[in-house]
Amino acid sequence: MVARNVDLRSDTVTKPTEAMRIAMANAEVDDDVLGNDPTAFLLETEMARMMGKEAALFVPSGTMGNLICVLVHCDVRGSEVILGDNCHIYIYENGGIATIGGVHPRAVKNNDDGTMDIDLIEAAIRDPRGELLYPTTRLICLENTHANSGGRCLSVEYTDRVGEIAKKHGLKLHIDGARIFNASVALGVPLDRLVQAADSVSVCLSKGIGAPVGSVIVGSKNFIAKARRLRKTLGGGMRQIGILCAAALVGLQENVGKLESDHRKARLFADGLNEIKGLKVNASSVETNMIFIDIEEGTRTRAEKICKYLEERGVYVMQECSSRLRVVLHHQISASDVQYALSCFKVMMTTNHLTSCLMDPICAVLFL
Amino acid sequence: MQFSIKFLEYVCTTDKVASIILVSLAILLEYLVWYQLQMVRIHTFAFRLVFVAEKMVARMVDLRSDTVTKPTEAMRAAMASAEVDDDVLGRDPSCFLLESEMAKIFGKEGAIFVPSGTMGNLISVLVHCDIRGSEVILGDNSHIHIYENGGIATIGGVHPRTVKNNEDGTMDIDLIEAAIRDPKGELVYPTTRLICLENTHGNSGGRCLSVEYTDRVGEVAKKHGLKLHIDGARIFNASVALGVPVDRLVQAADSVSVCLSKGLGAPVGSVIVGSNSFITKARRLRKTLGGGMRQVGILCAAALVALQENVGKLESDHNKAKLLADGLNEIKGLRVDTSSVETNIIYVEIEEGSRTTAAKLCKDLEDYGILLMPMSLSRLRIVFHHQISASDVQYALSCFEQAVNGVRNENGN
Repeated sequence: MVARNVDLRSDTVTKPTEAMRIAMANAEVDDDVLGNDPTAFLLETEMARMMGKEAALFVPSGTMGNLICVLVHCDVRGSEVILGDNCHIYIYENGGIATIGGVHPRAVKNNDDGTMDIDLIEAAIRDPRGELLYPTTRLICLENTHANSGGRCLSVEYTDRVGEIAKKHGLKLHIDGARIFNASVALGVPLDRLVQAADSVSVCLSKGIGAPVGSVIVGSKNFIAKARRLRKTLGGGMRQIGILCAAALVGLQENVGKLESDHRKARLFADGLNEIKGLKVNASSVETNMIFIDIEEGTRTRAEKICKYLEERGVYVMQECSSRLRVVLHHQISASDVQYALSCFKVMMTTNHLTSCLMDPICAVLFL
Repeated sequence: MQFSIKFLEYVCTTDKVASIILVSLAILLEYLVWYQLQMVRIHTFAFRLVFVAEKMVARMVDLRSDTVTKPTEAMRAAMASAEVDDDVLGRDPSCFLLESEMAKIFGKEGAIFVPSGTMGNLISVLVHCDIRGSEVILGDNSHIHIYENGGIATIGGVHPRTVKNNEDGTMDIDLIEAAIRDPKGELVYPTTRLICLENTHGNSGGRCLSVEYTDRVGEVAKKHGLKLHIDGARIFNASVALGVPVDRLVQAADSVSVCLSKGLGAPVGSVIVGSNSFITKARRLRKTLGGGMRQVGILCAAALVALQENVGKLESDHNKAKLLADGLNEIKGLRVDTSSVETNIIYVEIEEGSRTTAAKLCKDLEDYGILLMPMSLSRLRIVFHHQISASDVQYALSCFEQAVNGVRNENGN
């Protein structure tokens, strides 16, 4: 019965394409620690160019990308970093910047659109006169697209303004750009312009770009030199890494152009879900490839039940809490997959609604 | 010459003075032509020499490390067709296969794939020493202490307590025991939680720690309630050289970090093995450090091929190492402690009074396409792997001979 597989849990589930597998099999490689793996070098050069930065470094994951960036910017003990209270670094990276890096996080409220109020950011910057008691703020982190807000985009104007604040106070700016390509496509702003104000960006290749593994950090030459050393220290110094970089290069060539289509499918999906009684999607907040689905109050069913029902039909989604689900689109989800998933949702909610409508009076009769 | 004879005949039949001048000129001309011919021959010879020399440089014998191994055809095919999935959201099937296989081979409950040996050791130390204020006992010449950026301290907050490494890679058992902190002094002491061994021991020249020694250290650890971790980057080399199965060799250890990207020849990665509960904590810390990769089965597929195909080739690497070591020892100006060549690593000492230094020798050999690692002013390191052939060994030997004692040709090569 479960012949169909529609994996909407995340865009990390993308499997390598035929072109990627061929590229990986034929990749020119060398020891990237003793010297330079040529394919890794190609990828890093290309990424630096695309992002308008001096240099780049391949890392095994976005978590390591962010960890390295925060730790390099905050390499002096007693540092503090300002970041959103609902950002990936703060919520989903095991608190590594503190537990591993000794950096103190200062969380500022994330708005629904993924931004933090500029005046709240400024208010969070430590006054150097209080240094006897304060850690030293060295870094501000943004996240674009902002995942926990539903893949919302930070505009280039907002990013520039935060960059100005950072400069004004002698701070660095890092962008967790795991899905920066999605932001660039949705906003219609070239990547390098979008991240111009940032000192460093961490970009995922294993998400919408579809590569099997890895992220790339971009920044100044000086920054990347320090990053390379810290990457080794953390254990990310891999040898014939060109295998993975070859797949990433294919991803960059073939899949950036498909992101727009992912966004369109997401909007279609969101609109379809919104029509289903019992489910609510804030359609205006669906800017890229992510959808948060809220189960309306008064609806009997819980997110867990929906997840299970869908799983039995080969549709996989992520449960955020008892009344919220998350769906992420990627290039290996077709338009027909979207229709199929929608129909599963529809059937589930309708049946459930009917059942609950029927159950109520029956229960009332039985137990009275 | 024939032309000049005819000309001579003609001239001699006419004007005598003119004929003498012309004949002289002719002879001069002939001589110059002959001379040019010889120059061409010399140049041709020189070109051939350069051609041969170039051919020599086109040959590359990379003896810097066993990490330089490139993926084989079989590995590339396996990588291209590997079954994969998101190893963070769930389990990548090829990765699961590799981890299960490694756990089985090592006789431990669980295993986890990591991007590098450095991360393997870092995770192991940090998981065993997860309480702040911990101390780990390790060799003063061990890889963790010397070549891992001090990460266990700078990243992990664990205090290292070094004990002198003997030339054979061991630490004296009584010195290890003496280094264990007395709990009665806890007000001023950190708490010792872990002992680390390294097998084979890199900086001693790839020397093997015997199973008896490992067991004894394990007993000391148990006696004091400590854990034992083995940096087994080259544990397969040790197992092959000692003739002891890997699971017996590491029986006393709570965890082992095993490199797949060295002698086994996989492109990337290491595997940590240990108990199920240890591996669960390791998985979480791996994520924290940023080692949580997605469709990592690509790399694991190559590693599985490496396990199947290349463990059997390690013995041959050891044999080639011994051959080269013996050969190098015979070269005047070089010295190798051949009794210490137990596996695939050779340290070459440049004898005092020699005209060359390690750095210079490395550079000279590079011109022949031979890559080595200079360790100090007078010391070089050579590491064997399965992509070094017997003929490469012979070639390397002759190049060493040339470079150390050989005649230098005109070009100074």
